[in-house]
Amino acid sequence: MPKLTINGKTVTCDAGTPLIEAAKQVGEHIPYFCYHPSLTRPASCRMCLVEVEKAPKLMPACYTTVAEGMVVLTKSDKVIRARKAVLEFLLLNHPVDCPICDQAGECTLQNLYFEYSAQESRLKTRKVNKVKAFPIGPEVVYDGERCVLCTRCVRFCEQITKTNELTTTQRADMTEIRPFPGRELDNDYSQCTVDLCPVGALTSRNFRFKCRVWYLDTTESICTGCARGCSTYLEHFRGEVQRFRPRTNPEINSYWMCDHGRRLYREPHEDRLLNPFIKGVGAVPRNKGLAEAVKRLKAFRDAGRANKLAVVLSPQGSNEGLFSLIRFALKYGVERFYMNGKPDTAFTLRNEPDKVADDFLIVADKNPNTTGLRRLAEAFGITVLSAASLAADLESKKVDSAFILGANFPLDLDKKSKLWQKLEDADLVIFLGQRATPFTTLAHVSLPSCSFAEKQGSYINIDGIRQVAKAAFEPHGLSQPDWKWIERLSLRLQLGWEYENFEDLEAAANAKLAAPPAKELEEDKNAPAQT
Amino acid sequence: MPKVVTREPMSVLERSFVPEIIRGLSTTIKHFFHAASGQNYHEKQHLWFLNKGNVTYNYPEDVRTYPKRYRGQHRLMLREDGNVRCVACMCCSTICPANCIHITAAESDDPSVEKYPASFVIDELRCIFCGFCVEACPCDAIRMDTGLHVQPFLDRNNAYYGRDLLMELGELSVAIQGGDKS
Repeated sequence: MPKLTINGKTVTCDAGTPLIEAAKQVGEHIPYFCYHPSLTRPASCRMCLVEVEKAPKLMPACYTTVAEGMVVLTKSDKVIRARKAVLEFLLLNHPVDCPICDQAGECTLQNLYFEYSAQESRLKTRKVNKVKAFPIGPEVVYDGERCVLCTRCVRFCEQITKTNELTTTQRADMTEIRPFPGRELDNDYSQCTVDLCPVGALTSRNFRFKCRVWYLDTTESICTGCARGCSTYLEHFRGEVQRFRPRTNPEINSYWMCDHGRRLYREPHEDRLLNPFIKGVGAVPRNKGLAEAVKRLKAFRDAGRANKLAVVLSPQGSNEGLFSLIRFALKYGVERFYMNGKPDTAFTLRNEPDKVADDFLIVADKNPNTTGLRRLAEAFGITVLSAASLAADLESKKVDSAFILGANFPLDLDKKSKLWQKLEDADLVIFLGQRATPFTTLAHVSLPSCSFAEKQGSYINIDGIRQVAKAAFEPHGLSQPDWKWIERLSLRLQLGWEYENFEDLEAAANAKLAAPPAKELEEDKNAPAQT
Repeated sequence: MPKVVTREPMSVLERSFVPEIIRGLSTTIKHFFHAASGQNYHEKQHLWFLNKGNVTYNYPEDVRTYPKRYRGQHRLMLREDGNVRCVACMCCSTICPANCIHITAAESDDPSVEKYPASFVIDELRCIFCGFCVEACPCDAIRMDTGLHVQPFLDRNNAYYGRDLLMELGELSVAIQGGDKS
């Protein structure tokens, strides 16, 4: 373990640690463009030059590894002069079109210019013009003039996705990033290059010109695209999700996130069910919708048919919502539980449309909380049947009505319409979900719940890691979290509700989840195979 | 420690209030004659005490001339081809202390423009005419030099000035947009 001094502070770290990381440990930030902890280090930007005692020249802090007795200065006059010079060269042909650049506000070049140089350009000749707004891939736009040629994107495609789409073309001040002839930046993680780009050379097509970054509010959230549950930052403006950004989490997604997950930024706002909806009446206020649901559930229970009610759980829901629904259903007298959720084919790999998973982040199960649902089912001692067996059970009259959480069913159109028909004839259908779907007109009462972006909830990913997604903004319309609807239903039906607030409920759900991990889902043998 | 305020005791005359009432009323009466004279302040008055001029204007017949740098109604400047000069950088709506500028940016078909405002709305009722938007604009796209004040509105919806309305008063700017490329 070499011991060295950085700006007079002593630090001990493993042999082989680059100076940049050693400096981070003692709170000294060394600026850089081309360095990234998970990529190789070409030391090409020269921004991280530092003074090392007894070294004849300044050393790049990203490539120089720690050594015993090293004395490093990161803020000496010589270093700052060098950084200013590097910045002047980088800005020499830079178009300075910050007003129309999406990166402005989170741009390393912009920040460092204000931190170090802030000097007028001394260039007397014409700037070199390069390609502007070049469509480098289906999700990414390239701007050659803004590029500082750190080659992080090139290395990302070489080392992380191993797809090798990008390279540098031309030489010297004509150098540009381009895909190889006949190819484009179309891997499933292409938007990570946008995050990696320290300047505005690579911008995301989805986010392009939509919102200035300084308007965005950031909330720690998770990606609900698949069971991997990548940690994300949910960035929103005026109650609308504008984009997702991966949150560094070495246990789950490291620094990355797939394009399919990022494309879900519209999902919390699409086709929202904003009011409780009663069949034959239309949209009603919250209390009326609740009263109708209570009336029907009470009549159903009084008729002694509570065991004929099917409860359909959704692996899209949070642990707290699922916990309260299962608890409510068991007290009500429900015996048969089913599970819906998105089909594995909710999205497929971009270049291999027949594959639903890859060997990096994307997994086949496209629901964020399947593990949580299984563990809760195990802890409550219930058997959860597949969505396909719901249709079969409705046919054989094992159940004749349903309480449905969430409208995603992993069935093909044919089977779905068959199930719809069965539910249309059912005696009681209550729907609790966020989207206005055929259920809204089909169910006797539809109650609007809010999306994961509007409520706090915990989810358990495929590896059994529990994560919390925080509430980013207020619920849309009259929607409210699942557990709040269940709380009101429980109280009105005299089923008891001993949790004073969300924290109590969370603690209770967690206590339940501490039970041993669940076995595999028990499939109904008679049910037709899932698609 | 509390501050002790020493008060001068009032004199006998002051305590009677009579001279003070006369002094105060004379100011009031002077202003009454100023207003009643119906003359403008720049016209020489025939009574010496009216020389300070009339402070009330017979608007709208008698319009005050605004100074040259008066910050009035906004306008959006134009490019050489008549398109809007604004690149929708949102600097004005960011600096705006009244939050009255609402811009929706979009990708332009013209590759040399890239970004343009698909909609640009100023809520003139909210605007406090501070002029920060003009100062913040990096490309001389928004100005407040029309010399017009914003009219009163009977309908609130008329106070939302859209892009095309703001461009009607716009003209060519002398500034070169996007830097000198020659």
